[in-house]
Amino acid sequence: MTTKDGEVQIPRCARDDREGARDDREGARDDREGARDDREGARDDREGARDDIRVRVGADGRLLVALDNRMIGVRVRQCFPWSEPHRHLSLRDDDEQEVAFVEDPAALEPESRRALEHALAVAGFVLEVTRVVDIDEEVEIRQWTVETVHGTRSFQTHLDDWPRVLPGGGLLIRDVAGDLYRLPDPHELDRKSRELLWAFVD
Amino acid sequence: MDHEIIERYIGQPVRLPGDLRARIEREWGGKPVQLYALVDLDHALKLSESWLALGPEHVALARRTAGDEWDVVSVNRSRIHAVKDAPGLSANTLMLLSAPDDPPLMLLRYTQRQRGAFENIRFVLEEALAGRMVSGVSSNEADRMYAHAVARPVRDAQALVAGGGRESRVILRLLGYLKPYRRQLAFGLSAATVITLASLIPPYIAGYLLDRVVRPAQEGKLSRETAAGLAWIAVATMATLYLIRQAAAHVRLRFMAVLGEWVARDLRAELYEHIQRLSLSFFSRKKTGSLITRVTADTDRLWEFIAFGVVDVSLSLVMLVGLGAVLLTLDWRLGLIMTLPVPLFCWLIYWHGESLNGLFIRGWRKWSRVTDVLSDTIPGIRVVKAFNQEAREIDRFDERNEDVTEQFNQVHVAWTTFWPLLMLGVHATTVVVWAFAIPRLLGHGHPLSPGVFVSFLLYATMFVAPIEVIGQMARTVNRATSSAHRVFEVLDSEPEVRDVEHAVRLTPVRGSVSFENVTFAYDGVRQVLRGVSFDVAPGELIGLVGPSGGGKSTVVNLIARFYDAAGGVVRIDGEDIRRLETGHYREQLGMVLQDPYLFHGTVMDNIRYAMPTATLASVVAASKAANAHDFICRLAQGYDTMVGERGHTLSGGERQRISIARAILHDPRILILDEATSAVDTETEREIQEALERLIAGRTVFAIAHRLSTLRRASRLFVIEQGRLAEAGTHAELLEINGGIYRKLYNLQVQLQ
Repeated sequence: MTTKDGEVQIPRCARDDREGARDDREGARDDREGARDDREGARDDREGARDDIRVRVGADGRLLVALDNRMIGVRVRQCFPWSEPHRHLSLRDDDEQEVAFVEDPAALEPESRRALEHALAVAGFVLEVTRVVDIDEEVEIRQWTVETVHGTRSFQTHLDDWPRVLPGGGLLIRDVAGDLYRLPDPHELDRKSRELLWAFVD
Repeated sequence: MDHEIIERYIGQPVRLPGDLRARIEREWGGKPVQLYALVDLDHALKLSESWLALGPEHVALARRTAGDEWDVVSVNRSRIHAVKDAPGLSANTLMLLSAPDDPPLMLLRYTQRQRGAFENIRFVLEEALAGRMVSGVSSNEADRMYAHAVARPVRDAQALVAGGGRESRVILRLLGYLKPYRRQLAFGLSAATVITLASLIPPYIAGYLLDRVVRPAQEGKLSRETAAGLAWIAVATMATLYLIRQAAAHVRLRFMAVLGEWVARDLRAELYEHIQRLSLSFFSRKKTGSLITRVTADTDRLWEFIAFGVVDVSLSLVMLVGLGAVLLTLDWRLGLIMTLPVPLFCWLIYWHGESLNGLFIRGWRKWSRVTDVLSDTIPGIRVVKAFNQEAREIDRFDERNEDVTEQFNQVHVAWTTFWPLLMLGVHATTVVVWAFAIPRLLGHGHPLSPGVFVSFLLYATMFVAPIEVIGQMARTVNRATSSAHRVFEVLDSEPEVRDVEHAVRLTPVRGSVSFENVTFAYDGVRQVLRGVSFDVAPGELIGLVGPSGGGKSTVVNLIARFYDAAGGVVRIDGEDIRRLETGHYREQLGMVLQDPYLFHGTVMDNIRYAMPTATLASVVAASKAANAHDFICRLAQGYDTMVGERGHTLSGGERQRISIARAILHDPRILILDEATSAVDTETEREIQEALERLIAGRTVFAIAHRLSTLRRASRLFVIEQGRLAEAGTHAELLEINGGIYRKLYNLQVQLQ
């Protein structure tokens, strides 16, 4: 698969033989059938598809990749959510197969870029912490109360889970349910937050 | 308990508001809400409170309006043509779609916390779209299902004791384990009281000697003989007191240490017995290491608390109060100087402990960075060497090692600064006492006798030890309650598979197995078996095939009664498996697993695991039948070779043949082979296959295998896919089915070969 900035590329998929079985299983779902047909078609001539591929938001609210005359419903996955969150985007179908790869959305035509940026805002959403209100230790868990730009939130981490320092600065905490909380560099926080976080950062 | 977790930790509604539920059900013409989930993100990705409710015919979305009212939008389920989800890092999107080009019926965003509740709803909708009904979803269960899904991550992460986790309640429950040892406890506590009293008398005698014997004798008011007599009596009394004190100390240490050990033993025994009775679902939730820690380290910590913590804390309290009372009685002015700072000292020690906590967390965090390097590089040493990264790994370790040393040195700086300063404070109090006492000793102000003053000073030195214990009391109790929580959590877990009263014994099991419309879901909603039915006659060899995750292992788990079916019935010889005495039934069941487990012990112990009294001749016969005898005899110590943890290392094929010998010796009526030959080479597979053929003769066998060639001899093959029995028949019959799953799988494997 050759790569050029801004190109939406279609990977070679070597799993055609499994498609048949999957088709049988999902036969009852008309809409899926349609999407699958599109995908099959897209795979057939994937070698040829390049610059004419566009990204759109469908009438039903889904993100679609337009390949020639075909529309494929996709979801966005950031390959580097912390190192380079806005580039290297994998567009994947319902079966988590990569349909297209966008190295740099900036090189896409404006409407595609807007559609992708909108989808990216949701896919890359994490809770942005603005203030740490309290950190308390309980049996086997640590209880955090924080204020985020999205509202106040309490969450729990394992006692031996530590905040992770992000490449671009700031911290990332993952709670027991899997939600992610991004904190700015502690120096940018208020004094009490800094004091509470002191034990958890260098 | 799930409601309590949500209320206490998660801070979101514990259930769908009652008025809203009633309104939704009214709008649905009385149809009940069967499942619901909190939609905690709005379209602008702000945290919000909306609700998604699922009923038998409708789905409703209720959003809170600006006026704190509920805006409810209901959609008939027949309009839903597709359900799509888009998982994100923390925001997931669920879309209920109608026709492809129509706007979505509902577009809902939620954080990972709500994922379990949403997946339940999504599962039911998708099953309905596929024309399947999900059993077990009822309006009575809606609250429980929601709470279970939301609280689950916290419940799995934390050891929570049933009935609330208040420290006092947990400590009281722990102390309940002292009940059988009341006599020993009484001895220990009495001895501790004697120590306290015996410690309080010598300073008084010292003062008495000075004021009533030494000074009168020096001033000539008491004859030297009388004074000497009294002095010797005082010395003898003191000697006796010290003897009594040490004897009591001996009794106390011995009784309480032994008592603590007994309580720890009782807890370990109860814990281990309970762990053995728990169902497999419990073990899938808890890590092995965590359970081992509970039986070992946690009970050891509880021993420490019972042996010393309980008495030390209670006696230190008594001692402080007693000393305060004695000092105030001796001289209330000086007594006040001594006692008033005591609460401050206790608080300072507590504060010091709390401030060290932050340093310890930093130290702990940095220590884990050191152990991360070790646990990365030691198991992965081949990779490190292959890529010539030794120097980089050494640098990584050195940097972290340096960092953790620096951190722990900060801890040492903190405590080595604090304690001398605290003692300086105590000594400063003594200096203040001297400063107030000297004028009075010299005759100014209220008179003070030297004897009283000496007694006073001796009592004052006794303050330090109880202050220290009281200051650290919070930490001691915290540590003990944490351990007690972890231990009690296991004890409070109920086994999900239990015998009914008057359970039936099948003697012997003939081996017929029937599934009657069996459904099963590990989490209560997402079914991994959907109405599976079959009848297997005694002596049949059934091959279970199909894609991974299709439900094959669940079928054998239900036959072994590791779990009970959620719907339908599993019958053994026509009897509902739930009515059988589980232990007796499993005695007649054998399993050979993909990764056979050998316990620490000899080869013979492992073969005889289920029949410890089997003769050596039968062990050899079973080993021969299992094609294991030859390689066992090649081992220097033969059947007496130690294997398992820290024992002789055997290859996968050798361990497999030992486990087959174990099964042959056990002579089960129903045998389960779970991928028994998948992890070995072709030659070993041939030997194992031979052994298995001897093993399966005359038994009912369920064999799971991915290599279909190993199942050619099967009486019948069951193809399990997506929780259903998709195809059943002999190898030849299944190959005849045009477009059949088995035929596809078989052709695929033939092509690969």
